[in-house]
Amino acid sequence: MTFAAIASKVRKGALLSHADGLALYQHPNLLEVGALANEVRERLHGDRTYFNRNLHINPTNVCVASCKLCSFSRRRADAEGAFVLGVDEVVDKLRARLAAGDRVTEVHVVGGLHDGLPFDYFTSLLVALKAAAPGIRLKAFSAVEIFFFHHLYGMSVEDVLRRLQAAGLDSLPGGGAEVFSSRVRKAICPNKCGAEEWLEVHSIAHRLGLKSNCTMLFGTVESLAERVDHLLLLRAQQDESGGFLAFIPLPFHPENNALGDRPAPTAAESLRTIAVARLLLHNVPHIKAYWVSLGLATAQTALWFGADDFDGTVSEEKIYHQAGSLSPQALASGEIARLVRAAGRVPVERDTLYGHVPTAEGEAV
Amino acid sequence: MRRLRLSTISFLNTRPITYGIERGLVGKDRFDLTFDLPARCAAAVMSGEADLGLMPIASYGASTTELRIVPGVAIASRGPVRTVMLMGEVPREEMDSVVLDGASRTSQLLIQLLLRDRGLAPAFEQADHDRVVERIAGRRGGLLIGDLCFSAGRRFPHVYDLGAEWTERIGLPFVYAAWIGRPGVLLPGDIALLQESLSLGLRNRPEIARLWAERSGEDKALGEGYLTENIHYELGARELCGAAAFLERAHGAGFLSSKPVLRLFPSEIRPAAKSESPHNPRESSLDSLLSDAATGQRLSFDEGVRLYESASLYDLGLAADARRLALHPHGVVTYIIDRNVNYTNACTTACQFCNFYRPPGDDRITTLTRDELAHKLQETVDLGGIQVLLQGGVNPELGLDYFEDLFRWIKANFPIAIHGLSPEEVRYLAEREKLTIAKVLERLIAAGLDSVPGGGAEILDDEIRRRISPRKCSVATWLDVMCQAHRLGLRTTATMVFGFGEKAHHVVGHLHKLRALQDETAGFTAFICWSFQAEGTKLLLRDDTTATRYLRTLALARLYLDNFPNVQVSWVTMGPAVGQIGLRFGGNDFGSAMIEENVVAQAGAVFKLSAADIEGYVRAAGFTPRRRNMRYEWL
Repeated sequence: MTFAAIASKVRKGALLSHADGLALYQHPNLLEVGALANEVRERLHGDRTYFNRNLHINPTNVCVASCKLCSFSRRRADAEGAFVLGVDEVVDKLRARLAAGDRVTEVHVVGGLHDGLPFDYFTSLLVALKAAAPGIRLKAFSAVEIFFFHHLYGMSVEDVLRRLQAAGLDSLPGGGAEVFSSRVRKAICPNKCGAEEWLEVHSIAHRLGLKSNCTMLFGTVESLAERVDHLLLLRAQQDESGGFLAFIPLPFHPENNALGDRPAPTAAESLRTIAVARLLLHNVPHIKAYWVSLGLATAQTALWFGADDFDGTVSEEKIYHQAGSLSPQALASGEIARLVRAAGRVPVERDTLYGHVPTAEGEAV
Repeated sequence: MRRLRLSTISFLNTRPITYGIERGLVGKDRFDLTFDLPARCAAAVMSGEADLGLMPIASYGASTTELRIVPGVAIASRGPVRTVMLMGEVPREEMDSVVLDGASRTSQLLIQLLLRDRGLAPAFEQADHDRVVERIAGRRGGLLIGDLCFSAGRRFPHVYDLGAEWTERIGLPFVYAAWIGRPGVLLPGDIALLQESLSLGLRNRPEIARLWAERSGEDKALGEGYLTENIHYELGARELCGAAAFLERAHGAGFLSSKPVLRLFPSEIRPAAKSESPHNPRESSLDSLLSDAATGQRLSFDEGVRLYESASLYDLGLAADARRLALHPHGVVTYIIDRNVNYTNACTTACQFCNFYRPPGDDRITTLTRDELAHKLQETVDLGGIQVLLQGGVNPELGLDYFEDLFRWIKANFPIAIHGLSPEEVRYLAEREKLTIAKVLERLIAAGLDSVPGGGAEILDDEIRRRISPRKCSVATWLDVMCQAHRLGLRTTATMVFGFGEKAHHVVGHLHKLRALQDETAGFTAFICWSFQAEGTKLLLRDDTTATRYLRTLALARLYLDNFPNVQVSWVTMGPAVGQIGLRFGGNDFGSAMIEENVVAQAGAVFKLSAADIEGYVRAAGFTPRRRNMRYEWL
């Protein structure tokens, strides 16, 4: 399939095949692939580029999974550097941000798979956060954590989700998908739940009315074909359950983890993956340029390669920074708006469900 | 007015050059044209029988008489040339001897260099131009030049195109011949006439090919294809670099007794504003502007401003990428291993944006000692470095003799090229020593200076310079130092730093000034830009210095600077990610695997890459990395 033929399929709105995805990955000119993805991006969103005011909280780094790709986790609760935040400590972080006048609209909570905490800890966390800021949206617990809770506490996935939802959960983050290929998972995260479980958690969440995100961690041991497989599995899941809001490609960062001898994917590869994802995932509304992982410069450039979301102000990010990410720990919303405008795009502040939040930094839609 | 005697060669490939003159369309009252063989043509210039000859470049290199080259016109190739060929009944590895065509010294040197590079050492014999073919037999090969190659090439099973081989090895064009004469023979307007004769010839290549076909019995399409695809008639910076690489190699191999410097006749200074075609009142669409620029048509100042202000990031990128591909079709991205050594941090210019300098009298002033320098230079050589970028401060304690001693000492002790002293430093030395800029440069060249870095250009606009660096040289002086350096045979780079609150017309004005000078001298090898690194400096600016502005600026530069052979990405300041993406926005060079950089590091740029890192980034962007020297010659 030539590039021109793929381009004409994209323009006609025809579904791209696995071979098309591979051809897009292998096309010699990155700019042409980017330009095509940009057409789709502009068709869906014009110049609008979304961001939100969020707070990342990692309640614990104790994790039984010991994935090779991770620089954040500690295997045991008594290991050096291991921590578990008390519910009050977590809530204090949010309160501090609110007291500083920052109108945070979302808290993003992901942590390690800690086998020594009661389920109540997690529901209390959600309840306390909602109580501290009633309008706030809670995007918490990746599918891997949900599936771990199901095992650890002997509840069905649906029950876990229902109880968290009752405690205040609004949506699921997209982490832990890595690459779905079982070969790859065996190599980089053998103790994490498999592709089927990951997809099942999201499928149930969508059925319960929860929205979620999806991700792909690329640049470890996977082949291009396995990346395309991954994207097509997400596309199929979205056709079935329809609850994915955004896809977030995550380039692997090699420092301080067991996969450290391989080079990180370069900017060209990240932009390519963003563009290919925009083209293959026609049914996922948003593609996020997660600046924490991409770096500001690449994330800004990505707004022309298919991405329409810059993520948020973040603050307190730990997982990528432990793996050598040089991006800042937090961005002021004004700084995000400035970067978006400098890229020739229009910044729009959003809430978790991509509703428009009118503010000085963002512009009207 | 005395008539100018021109000696030329009678090959198909010279006809476009002499077309206008031969037909009396150009310089009818000024030129007398005679036809000779290449070697004869050189002899006529040397003996004074001719004022200007279409001379082989090797004869220029071997000349003990001082000569100048006419800018803009040459016989060159960028790949297969089809008329400089080694032929034989056996493969070249099996040739015991090679008969050389006595007609051209350049081809003789070229084949000896290329065979030597392959470890082949056949005996060489001389023969007259039209006797070579008949002597090729058995293990005796022959070097043929000129139109003879077309028919002879069909007779031998083993045929090697030396133009193709040169460009595959070095990555630069090969220059066979150019208009060459003694300094002072040209009057104002002569160069324009010679260039005009060529322009007419290029437009009339079909006619030239037809006449040739009728005379020689060859195929017209063959001749036309040859004049269009194989022979290139431009003599710009890339060609000059190719010629310099050739002469330097010939010198290194012992074929030329002195190391030749390429010097051009100074062309008339055309006021930049008037050299543009008059503004077209019916504005062309952005799309047609972009496609014109992508195919190498010259942008006017207004068009440049319009593209910079209105074209999208993509459109600029795709056009610049197309231009990059046309100029560098081999998919190679080059880089150099060198070391940036700031010999002193004392500086009188006190620029607002600088975080490195200390004013004279400050107790934190350091000037590197010979021991410190020796250590740095040895380390550079040990790491595979081939060049040192030497820049200051403008330190009033250091005079011309300091640099002469320093350069001589470096050259005596280290196998390393000196890329040193930006225009402001040269200007200061001229002022301090009460010498002309040319004299300062001549003395520095004699002491070992190889090339001049294009630093200190910032934005070439006096209004902006007065605001950010009031004590640094004016636009006119910066350009004058570069012009003098080019006239003395030095190649230099040119830079631009943006993000000082300048407008589109300042940026395009900067590029315009560089392009106009390059038209005159062809001395710039590359353009490099980056955004102002504000952290820790006295300038409290919040201008747009983000990645997308950098990429737009880079792409515009690739399109606007149609006479600059190379555009470097600046990973040191912009970061490797943006540098890598820049390779799709017009950049064809990844700069330097820098062992040390002090000035930008003080203002917050922290990126460090090894040669292996650079090669990784280049490959991941889909290009082949190659090391180069300052002239962008592949190593």
